[in-house]
Parts: sequence; structure tokens; C-alpha cells
Amino acid sequence: MLQRYIDHFGAWAVVGTILLTVTFLIAPIIVSILMSFDARSYLGRFPPTEFSFHWYARFFSDSYYLTGLKTSLIIAVIAASVSTCAGVCAAIVLDRYDFPGKQALETIFLSPLVIPAVVVGFSLLLFFALLGVFQGYPRLLAGHIIITFPYAVRTTLAGLTGIRRNLTEAAMTLGANERQAFWDVTFPLARTGMVAGAVFAFAFSMDDVAVSLFLTSPQTYTLPVAMVSMMRTNFDLTIAAASVILMLFTIGLIIILDVIVGLERVIGGGVYRS
Amino acid sequence: MSVVQLKNVTKRFGSFTAVSEATFSLNKGEILSLLGPSGCGKTTTLRMIAGFEEPSEGDVLIADINMRNKRPYERNVGLLFQDYALFPHLSVNQNVAYGLKRRNYDRGQIDHRVGEMLDLVKLDGFEQRRPSQLSGGQQQRVALARALATNPEVVLLDEPLSALDAKLRQELRIELKQILSAVGASTIIVTHDQEEAMSLGDRLVVMSEGRIVQQGPPTEIYKNPRTKFVAEFIGRSNWLRGVLGPADRNNLCSFEVAEGLTLLVPKPEFDASTYEVCIRPERIRVGNANSTDGATNVNQLSGTVQNVAHLGADIHIVMELASGYRFTISEQFIGQSMDEYQGSLECTFFPSDCIVVAADS
Repeated sequence: MLQRYIDHFGAWAVVGTILLTVTFLIAPIIVSILMSFDARSYLGRFPPTEFSFHWYARFFSDSYYLTGLKTSLIIAVIAASVSTCAGVCAAIVLDRYDFPGKQALETIFLSPLVIPAVVVGFSLLLFFALLGVFQGYPRLLAGHIIITFPYAVRTTLAGLTGIRRNLTEAAMTLGANERQAFWDVTFPLARTGMVAGAVFAFAFSMDDVAVSLFLTSPQTYTLPVAMVSMMRTNFDLTIAAASVILMLFTIGLIIILDVIVGLERVIGGGVYRS
Repeated sequence: MSVVQLKNVTKRFGSFTAVSEATFSLNKGEILSLLGPSGCGKTTTLRMIAGFEEPSEGDVLIADINMRNKRPYERNVGLLFQDYALFPHLSVNQNVAYGLKRRNYDRGQIDHRVGEMLDLVKLDGFEQRRPSQLSGGQQQRVALARALATNPEVVLLDEPLSALDAKLRQELRIELKQILSAVGASTIIVTHDQEEAMSLGDRLVVMSEGRIVQQGPPTEIYKNPRTKFVAEFIGRSNWLRGVLGPADRNNLCSFEVAEGLTLLVPKPEFDASTYEVCIRPERIRVGNANSTDGATNVNQLSGTVQNVAHLGADIHIVMELASGYRFTISEQFIGQSMDEYQGSLECTFFPSDCIVVAADS
């Protein structure tokens, strides 16, 4: 009898925790979305009394934000492309071949996941100073490639691990050489993982602050960095509008991803099962 | 004419010898079963024929051409994988067409051949399905169609029915045999299932610990296993160890197992220090010597029934002899009452039903 009460209590506790978590995840975002449409020209109390687009108009007429957005997009596209290509190559090597030091290499490839971004940013700043590189683009690009690369390796590796090796062997008995077997079988099956890696890389690059903060120059800064500095100097709801815009890019990408390959498959590691 | 020939093929992985001096050949249109327990080297042998492994020593010949250093795609071998290995991102049609495409058949030929193969395995109408939308049996038929499509010199089947449940296995066994003989495919089947090996194969090659221990037609191997391993692996058996006496003029020897238990057995064609005798349960008949139509030289045993199990078509009776030996007897169920097998029981078997092998010592 008591056991049953404890079970009931446990079940309710789980439901409660989930509800609480969801509330804290969603509520702040809803607040900032609503506030970004606030018609008042000052930072008023929640909820807004009237709605308008004037904070968005302000965002798109402010060259400071626009420069940040442009830089963010350029950096994100290049960083995601580079780390996806490199990550795919690394993942293939890690999955298909056995060699001494393979474990160590895998750990090194995935290490930016566990090293705090602040440490990566600061180390890169010192490193580039040593090399005499002070321009914003190369520094930001390097930083973003480093932090996005592990995601590309991770998701591609997950995709490749799910592909049984006898599929390649089947292709080979049917007349395909190793290269053809890779393009006909391995690549199409691992593509989901690769696309997922690219999307994650893009998303992480877009919203990174910690690494970028160290590597920006006065002329070259990303949108999140612009938002941080505006928050200190000139706090108004343009930042809310900027957040919504930043969010739209990520959500848009996820929707595209879902349409192309199916979200469940990507989150599930991009693993095909027959 | 032999399609595949293995000449003294040995394969070592480091210090472990997986296959040792295997020699056998596959004739055109023949189905050969490579039978043995897991780890006996049969799969390694298959992989050497397919070209995934290179022999450490010896040669593999396909259509009289030495396959040394030939990659899998340079051989014309059809391989049916244990888990089918269908391409999950391709339709049934594309799966079957893959080999034809890679072997540079033209569009028209491919369409024609794919239709033909799907017809053969009775899967027309399933062309656009993905493998994940098919049942296990259907997947296997697609894999078979894919392996046969390019008209391979030899078809290799790796444990073809092991992934299916027992009932389906029986059905597909018959179907598989029909399909293989319809296309006249020269086939090697690797299996650890003796029923599968015997029912599918025209000839058996039995392997144990990397060596071929016996090869021949299934009936021949069942009747005359050369070693205890083969006799035990193929079919059920009762074993007796004893002392072999000299042969009489009918070429029969006495075989003394224990005090009061002496059998007549055929004279073996080999010499050994100790012998063992195997009697198949189904060769033993319940009843006394009078029921054998006056035949002479009949072995007769009596004992008490320990256990009777009615398994449907067969009845298994375990009988204990006065000397303590236990015998399993298999009788056909033809409507008799189980009460017949109670208390003390007599049974008979002919000397010719006794298989004499050298004891493993």
C-alpha cells in the first residue's frame, strides 16, 4: 500500500519536474519575443500594451547591428563548411581504419566540447598575438572552426557507425570497387549525419559569445557580441528584436533540416537501420 | 567441370590457423553444403572464395582461373549475407539492379533482368518498396535476386536461413532449393545446421577446427561417418565403447562392451587401438528377435524404460540396460498407445546398423 503511494508520488514528481523545466525553458523566450513587439518607445513593464514593429525597424536601420549580423552570417557559413568537410574526413578515418593512437586522436578531435569556450577564446587570442595576427576575420574564423569541428565529427561518426560494414562488402561482390562502394552506399547513408553536423556547426557559430568576445576587433564583431556590448552601453528592446532574428535563423535551419532529412533521424544520431 | 577449386588452402590470422589445408571442388550446377560448428573456419573459407580474405597458402580457382590478388569486384561471385545486407536507401528494384549497373549492363538489359529476377523470387509488385518495408523472408528473396542477377559463376550463401523463425525456415528451404535449381546456380552454402545442409546440399563438406573431416553425399555421410565428430554432429546417436574381436566368415566382429553386453558389428576397414560403436536411434526397433522375420545375427538388447517423450511424428524412448548403459530409441508414431513402452522392453538392431569408428582416446 505504502509502496503504491510512493510510486504515485514519484510519478507526480517526475511530471512536475518536466513541467517546471519546460516553463523555465519556454517562458523567458516568450517574454522576450513579446517584448520585441512592444509599441512603447521605452523599456516598459511586461506585458506590452500595444504591438508594433518599431524595434525591428530600429534594428535594421542601425549599422552597428547590421555589420554584426553580416559578420556572423559570413563567419557561420565559412566555419560550418570548413568544419563539416574536415569533420567528415576525420570521422571516416576514425570509423574505417585502425591505427595506433586512434583513441588519442578521437579524444583530441572531440576535446573542444569539454574545454570551456572562454579558455579556447583566450588561448587563441594569445596564440594569434604571438603570430602577429590582429585582424578580426581570421581570428574569429579560426575560433569558430575549432568550436564547431567536434559537432561535425560527432554527428558524422554517429552516422557512419550505424552503417554495417557488410553493406560495403555486398557492393563489392556486386562489382563496385572501394571508391564506388563508398559513394554508392556509405556516403548516402552517412549524409544525414553530415547534414546534421553542418546545421549544428552553423547554429553554434551563430550564437557563440564566449570565444568571439576575445577575438573581435573594433571593426569585425559578430551579432551576439554586438548585443552584449549594446546591453552595456545602450540597453533597449532592439536587443530583444535582435534575439528574435538570431532565433529565426536557427529555427529556420531546423525546419529546413526536418524537411530534407527528417528531424527525428538527425537527433537520433543519423543512424539508418534496415 | 569444376567451377570452384580450393587447393590446400590455409588461412592464418596471426598465430591462429582458421583454415588448414582445405581442398575441395564445386561442380557446375551443384549445391555444396559447408557444414561445421561455429568457429570451424567455414565462414573464413567462404570469405576467401568471395575475395575478402587472401589465403595464407594454397590457391582458390574460379572457372579455372587463379584468384590470387583478385579483389571481390574482379570476381563474378554472388554472395547472400546472413543478415542480407540490403542497401536500406535503395528500393527493391535498385537493390537488384545495383550489380547489373556496376557490371555495365545497358538500361534495357537491366530492366529486363530485374523483372526476370523478381519474377523468379515471386516479388513482382514490390519493386518500389524499401527493404525496411519487407518481411524477413521477403528481404531474403530480394537479397537472393540481387546475388543471382549478374549470373555469377558461383553463389555463396552464408547461413541463409538462420535469421528466420523455425516454421518460415522450412518453407524457405524448399523455395530456396527450387530457385537455385531453376537457374542452375553452382552454389556453396555455409551452415551449422545439419538439417539445412542435408536438405539443400547435393554434397556435404564437414569441417572441424579448420580442417575438412569428411566430404560426400549427405546420405553417405549419415550412413558412414568416418569419425566420432561427424557422427555426433550429423544426426543423433548412441555410443558404446568396447573391445573388438576377430572377424567371422560373414565379416562380422564381436564387440564386447561390458559383462553380458556383446554386439555383432561389421568389420572396420581401418586399424585403431580402441573402437567406438554408434547406433542411430531410428535404426533400433522395439520388439524381440522373433519379430525380425527369422533373420540371423541380430543384436538384441533388453532393459527398462526410463522416459518416453512423444514429439509428434516421433517417439523418443530412453531405455536403461542391465549394465547401466542408456539407449535412446526413436519410433515412428503410427497411432500406437504409449502404454506399449512401459516397464521392461526388448529391442533389436542389425549389425549393419552399427557404425564403427576409432575412439577419440
